[in-house]
Amino acid sequence: MNQPIRMVGISKRFGSVQALQGVDLKVEPGTLHALVGENGAGKSTLMKVLYGQLQPDEGTLEIEGTLRRFAHSRDAIAAQIGMVSQHYSIIPELTCLENLMLGAEPGAWLEPRSATERASTLADRMGFRFDWNEPASKLSTAAAQKLEILKLLWRESRLMILDEPTAMLSPADSDALYASLHRLAAEGATVIVVTHRLPEVMDHCRDVTVLRGGKRVSSFPVAETDPRQLSEAIIGRSMIETQVEVRVGREPMLVMRDLRIQGDRGQEAVKGATGELRVGEVVGLAGVDGSGQHELFQAITGHAKILGGTLDFLGQSILVASPRQILEMGVRLIPEDRHAEGVVEDWTLEENSSLGLHRLAPFAQGSRVNIRARSEETQKMIDRFQTKCRDRYSLMRSLSGGNQQRFVAARALAHQPKLVLAFQPTRGLDIEGTRQVYAALRDQAQAGSSVLVVSFDLDELLIHCDRILVMEHGRLLEPPADLARDRQAIGALMVGAA
Amino acid sequence: MADFVQFLGLAFVLGVPVVLAAMGGLTSERSGVMNIGLEGKMLFGACVTAMVATSTQNAWLGLVGGIGAAILASLLHGVLTQVYRMDHVISGMSINILAWGGTSYLYSPHFTDRAFGSTIPVVPREVFYLLAVAIPAVIWVYLKRTRGGIRLMAVGNDPEKSRQMGIDPIRVRFMALVATGVFCGLAGAMIVSNTGRFSEGMTSGRGFIALAALIIGGWRPVPTMIACFAFMLFQALQIQFQGQAIFGVMLPNELWLSMPYLVTLLALAGLISKNSVPAGLGKA
Repeated sequence: MNQPIRMVGISKRFGSVQALQGVDLKVEPGTLHALVGENGAGKSTLMKVLYGQLQPDEGTLEIEGTLRRFAHSRDAIAAQIGMVSQHYSIIPELTCLENLMLGAEPGAWLEPRSATERASTLADRMGFRFDWNEPASKLSTAAAQKLEILKLLWRESRLMILDEPTAMLSPADSDALYASLHRLAAEGATVIVVTHRLPEVMDHCRDVTVLRGGKRVSSFPVAETDPRQLSEAIIGRSMIETQVEVRVGREPMLVMRDLRIQGDRGQEAVKGATGELRVGEVVGLAGVDGSGQHELFQAITGHAKILGGTLDFLGQSILVASPRQILEMGVRLIPEDRHAEGVVEDWTLEENSSLGLHRLAPFAQGSRVNIRARSEETQKMIDRFQTKCRDRYSLMRSLSGGNQQRFVAARALAHQPKLVLAFQPTRGLDIEGTRQVYAALRDQAQAGSSVLVVSFDLDELLIHCDRILVMEHGRLLEPPADLARDRQAIGALMVGAA
Repeated sequence: MADFVQFLGLAFVLGVPVVLAAMGGLTSERSGVMNIGLEGKMLFGACVTAMVATSTQNAWLGLVGGIGAAILASLLHGVLTQVYRMDHVISGMSINILAWGGTSYLYSPHFTDRAFGSTIPVVPREVFYLLAVAIPAVIWVYLKRTRGGIRLMAVGNDPEKSRQMGIDPIRVRFMALVATGVFCGLAGAMIVSNTGRFSEGMTSGRGFIALAALIIGGWRPVPTMIACFAFMLFQALQIQFQGQAIFGVMLPNELWLSMPYLVTLLALAGLISKNSVPAGLGKA
């Protein structure tokens, strides 16, 4: 690609929502370009237009000096545009090699030998290694991301769009990813990175375009800006990162001793966790994804098989309590996968508001659900974090991911819960949403609850939590008192280096 | 010994239409279209095969007609589920009901004056024997070694991701449904070849046994074929031993008759959780 990509005056409307309004984007060839903005700013919509998944109502797209109009993704693919979406497009039932080829097979008859040869050449070029005949379901998140990069190379994409590429990656894997992207850019590829993380923009990108509310706010070279100016552009006012005033917890709320939990595949996912949560504190649970956080949450909510140890909630053992009993005792969950564990997408917000809580006040009225109370509660949940929706009768499905998350968080915090377990409560939320959710979690703790937050973003935990625990390979660790908030010490615990 | 060989042969013959129908189910379900309408498509195939063969006095034209009818029924399922987004189970069941009623009407004296039981020219059964073994093998190679095969798997697993990779899921699904029609039509024609005539409801639930075999075979062609033959072993047992005392015990006829269905049920109950369903089954 030798000429810049130009999108001019792109507008797109979904029903009553103007998602994009006359947006311009110019990307210089051979560079990394960051596209930043809050949730709902229109970043993904703009990229879907570029990738042919959406057709703009207005505006033009110019690639290599010619105006283009894509009716499908396959037109964009033919124009050497590739996209890696946030949740990847790897098909787990196919092998790595089949995934690599999918949609861009060299011929009707697959020739595994020559395909493997070409695949290995591409992998070598990037310094990756794959067992090509292994099912893709076995890939780790980081390996899946690498396979996605190779898919772009396989299709000879010259323009690569990456949507939140580091959302699921550990810091080391993120660095490795950017190293790959720099190499590709050096070879002439043009890369657009959609991201929330300003450090990535500052460290790795040459130019940055900021969207807000479906409009382009500004676009400038990264060298001429700083994080403060950038965050101002993103949210419209300066945001100062302050650390919270650390509070010390009071009497114990949840106590675990040598707790051992079985994972989905029968392995011992948590190996003898000992620790406690105290009333009034927000505890951050740091760690790389898959270190046992998920299983620990499952055990506390009564869903996992416990192999040994003790688990007491308010002085009472909950080892054999049912999920329903635990819910009634006041444990609430902001789940990791809200589609699977948190909401029914085909239900309205109102119906979702009492999901799992329908036997409890204020929803229950004898054996029936109090419809009027439910309406009122739903409206409160919507208002709490400004969930954007038409009204409380909207289907959950019609909300964007960030707005669904707002609603789920509000539901978990309603009606004075005793213990709130929050698994990446700010996943998909923008800076302002993140701040609001943590403020609400802190208020809840202040009011006499305990909060346990899992996040893969250590900085987020350091800013918002009173205390940090670390899970590493099924072990629960607490940093020594003098290093309780030391970023490096905690980081070392996370990767098992301490 | 000769009895035993004869017994296995019987199981094979009985298994052939079930294998063909199960392969029809396989292409459909691998593409993500749930298909409980195999029974209906077989029945349409059988009925139209018999009708066309009688009126033209040509067995091969009959076969072509039967396959055509089954393809139409299969495409109807495709239009209902893919274009009009109807629930896959409801659409499949509607097609079964349509087939039960429709074939009965088509073959009634009101509609056609050809008497029941008149002789029909039929395609030699050996053709179907060969196909029942060859088609699973061909599908296996198709899934592993061709562009169409991996696209079929991909669409059945996640249509949205497939679309993102530049594949048109609707097109892939309609192609798969045409194949479903062809295989179900063959299965229906085979049943007609077996008996030399059409009779109401003559598929007698074999489309559902095919579906069960598909599940037990984990939506993989060769294991599915084996499961079909295994089920039909019990039908062969029934034919062989019905009315005879075994070790001095006389089993009631009803038990023998229900045997293949009972075994299917037990096998499903015991095995269903061990196999992975195509992840996109029934998804838009």
